[in-house]
Amino acid sequence: MTEQNFEEFLKKSAQGYNAPPVRVPREEMWSAIQAKRSSGPQVVYGGGATYLIRHRFGTKAWLGAAAAAMLLVATGVGIGRWSATRATRQNVASALPQQPVVVNQPANEGVGSSQPGEASIPSAGTTRTAVERGGDRGGKSSVTAVAGANGVALPAPAPAALAPATATPAYQLATVQHLSDAEALLTSFRQRSTTDQQMDAQLGTWARQLLSNTRLLLDSPVANDPQRRPLLEDLELVLVQIVQLSPGSTPQDRALIEKTLQQDHVMTRLRTAIPAGAQRGS
Amino acid sequence: MPMVAHESEHSVNDIQLITRVVAGDAAAERELYETYVDRIYRLAFRLAGDDELARDFTQATFIRAFEKIGSFRGESSLSTWLHSIGMSVTLNGLRKTKRQRNREAPMEEGLTVGSAKVEAEPDLKERLARAIDSLADKYRTVFVMHDVEGYTHEEISGTLNIPIGTSKSHLFQARGKLRVMLADFAPEWVS
Repeated sequence: MTEQNFEEFLKKSAQGYNAPPVRVPREEMWSAIQAKRSSGPQVVYGGGATYLIRHRFGTKAWLGAAAAAMLLVATGVGIGRWSATRATRQNVASALPQQPVVVNQPANEGVGSSQPGEASIPSAGTTRTAVERGGDRGGKSSVTAVAGANGVALPAPAPAALAPATATPAYQLATVQHLSDAEALLTSFRQRSTTDQQMDAQLGTWARQLLSNTRLLLDSPVANDPQRRPLLEDLELVLVQIVQLSPGSTPQDRALIEKTLQQDHVMTRLRTAIPAGAQRGS
Repeated sequence: MPMVAHESEHSVNDIQLITRVVAGDAAAERELYETYVDRIYRLAFRLAGDDELARDFTQATFIRAFEKIGSFRGESSLSTWLHSIGMSVTLNGLRKTKRQRNREAPMEEGLTVGSAKVEAEPDLKERLARAIDSLADKYRTVFVMHDVEGYTHEEISGTLNIPIGTSKSHLFQARGKLRVMLADFAPEWVS
């Protein structure tokens, strides 16, 4: 009985505990709710609140911005390279001298002259026939050399010969020789021991020489060939990767080059570009 | 006003109301607010003892409810679901307020040292309020909901997400502690 009395007493007495006002401030609270909702998270019915764009920007939008920036840079580089190539060709066509300039290089220039294919590389102990020109791709050099196979200086192309897509037989010969050397290098690269760092160093030196020749060819009429140019560009990329391959590089670095080779089918395209019966640079 | 008595008859209306709110009907939002705001506010006020806090908690409850109503699965009644949000907001808010006041208390106590103000013997109302305030949150919440606001143990269980037995146990504990603290007033309930 006492317990029941206490419960009733308690319920009755507790009614005054934090007694709320008779009038609930409905309108004021509703206005505040609307104001907060309009300035805070946007209500999206279906499972949660979607935050304002400024909130989302801080978390995910930077990915899109970074992708857009990369695309912009890539497009700019592409346009710049394309326009520079066009300007170079125009400059060469207008400022080409009538007589070729012969550049003599010392016979011992270049490292690793005992490497396979070295004898046929024009830069090693050969005489280059170079053509002075008004501009150059990337502005790195003011001389474009046209290499002749087996050290034979090639005649400088006449201005009329630069316009057509097809290069002269001398250029074709030099290109085939170069591609053969590149194939030999890439074959050696794929077959080398992954632990042989000395071999990596030699391949790097060899690749550096081939890279120079690849860039020279890219600036030559050979690059006017719509099939040769992409091949040379892809070859340039692979050679750059090999050159940058330090002796202490990880297997992942090598795998990356292998991946590039496979994805772009560089080896297959190289072999296809080399005519049957041509001397391979092995 | 117990919620259970109205749940069955409100269930159809609640579903329609929720459907309209999810569809973006502003009038439905207002209708939902008008239906439940009084009880949410009253409970928040009872626990907070402060009009400003009670308003803040009530507003936060409805803002959160509007945000999450699309995920309402109907596993409980709309009233229980809404009260559950309200209690979560209120209790979390009170914990934050309590921590803040505890940090400020030493400074205020320092200012009143030496005043030696002798207070008169508080009456029953004040003693009861102090006694309830001194209860642990879990006991005080159940006591206020059940004995002051008239919620059933089923409703408390659904709102606080605790078993009904726990709700009853907490109420028993709360009453026992209050009885001890109010022993001076025993003649009033004995008589």
